[in-house]
Amino acid sequence: MASQQIAGPSAAGRLRRAVDGPAAEWFGLVVRLALAVVWGWAGLAKISDPAEAAQAVRAYEILPESLVKPIGYGLPFLELALALLLLIGLGTRIVAVISALLLLAFISGIASAWARGISIDCGCFGGGGTVDASKTEYLQEILRDSGFLLLAAWLIYRPRTKLSADAWLAA
Amino acid sequence: MSEKNREGKRNARDRMIEARAAEEARDRRKKKLVVGGAVLAVIAVAVVIGVVVQNQRSKPETPVAAPAGAIGDKSLVIPAGPADAPSVLTVYEDPRCPACGSFERQFSPTIDQLEDQGKLYVNYHVVSFIDRSLGGSGSKYGANALACAQDAGHFRDYHDVLYRNQPDETSDAFGDKATLIELSKQVPGLDTPTFEACVNDNKYGGWVSAVQQDFDKSSYKSTPTVLLNGAPVYPKKGDEQISPENLVKWVDQANQGKTLGTTGSGGQSPAPTSTAAESNTPPSP
Repeated sequence: MASQQIAGPSAAGRLRRAVDGPAAEWFGLVVRLALAVVWGWAGLAKISDPAEAAQAVRAYEILPESLVKPIGYGLPFLELALALLLLIGLGTRIVAVISALLLLAFISGIASAWARGISIDCGCFGGGGTVDASKTEYLQEILRDSGFLLLAAWLIYRPRTKLSADAWLAA
Repeated sequence: MSEKNREGKRNARDRMIEARAAEEARDRRKKKLVVGGAVLAVIAVAVVIGVVVQNQRSKPETPVAAPAGAIGDKSLVIPAGPADAPSVLTVYEDPRCPACGSFERQFSPTIDQLEDQGKLYVNYHVVSFIDRSLGGSGSKYGANALACAQDAGHFRDYHDVLYRNQPDETSDAFGDKATLIELSKQVPGLDTPTFEACVNDNKYGGWVSAVQQDFDKSSYKSTPTVLLNGAPVYPKKGDEQISPENLVKWVDQANQGKTLGTTGSGGQSPAPTSTAAESNTPPSP
């Protein structure tokens, strides 16, 4: 009983130190770069064929035809911009918020396709469009995006990271 | 007196500290606004540039050049068999799609025969989306080579040869132009310098993209999609499974009481005559 009372606050203190200390800022750097790689990869994979990117959007059957091309064409560049900003660590919290919103939109889109029973590839990292019903991977896609969402959530919670433009500007 | 003085000093110091803190807070807010503004500006500029660049890079939905004899309002469809045949079979297929390969291996002799009997006019939509999911360029280059064969008046034979020699879906053999040219040697008269240049230069790349974009916008989602006089017959027509025998039966039923189309063209793609004027190689008879 007594030992528990001592252990309680000291564990909390350790956690607090870990979350606030320099170790956390190094961890934040890793998270930030990991999310940058995700967006960079996702963006680059969608650029080579504009028609393919548009079809990946169209296949969700959510947006009207007039928005299919602007979104298909613009989304990869939005992802690349996020990647670049995360890479240099500028405005990390805002970028993380935008990342999280985008990921939530993706997850809802995939969940909606799954719920409506249409068979598509999410087109998350290029590709996309209709696939054979046996080749859908909705659960994996949602879990993967949820993992990325955790990265963004950490950066919203602790946007201060090592080797970032934000830290340099604050100094 | 001294007490009051001290108090006054402290107040002044406090005010100074407060003022400095307020200023720092203001600076921090300003910095945040500037950074936030910069971030949003970077994103907005990137997206606008992206939309403009991709718009320019995307190939038009109406092709600039189409193979000789292609039909439809955007010239996206390759016809085979007599145009005046009473029934029309519409086929959407991708050179790399394995289901299309097995469809062709099972049905092409029957379809060719129905064409040659004047019973059937076939409209091919040569789509190319397998490259998207599997990577590579076999669908696109294969489709371009088919367009080149159409130009030379050998679409039907080359089409049959391609599907008979279709590689495994995951192998991108058709992405190798030399393979496509090698296979053209199985069609007498097709392998000419004009054909080879057409394949190597990906001459109808824009047309291939337009055909695919047309398919993207259609309600059909998979290949092969096969329609007999507009109604789906693959894999089933109603409750009846498609088979070469059933296809002949369905065509005969649809054609009952109608005049058959012109025969004798060898079913060979609409032996392009006037339309192939710019091509140096007249279709072999």
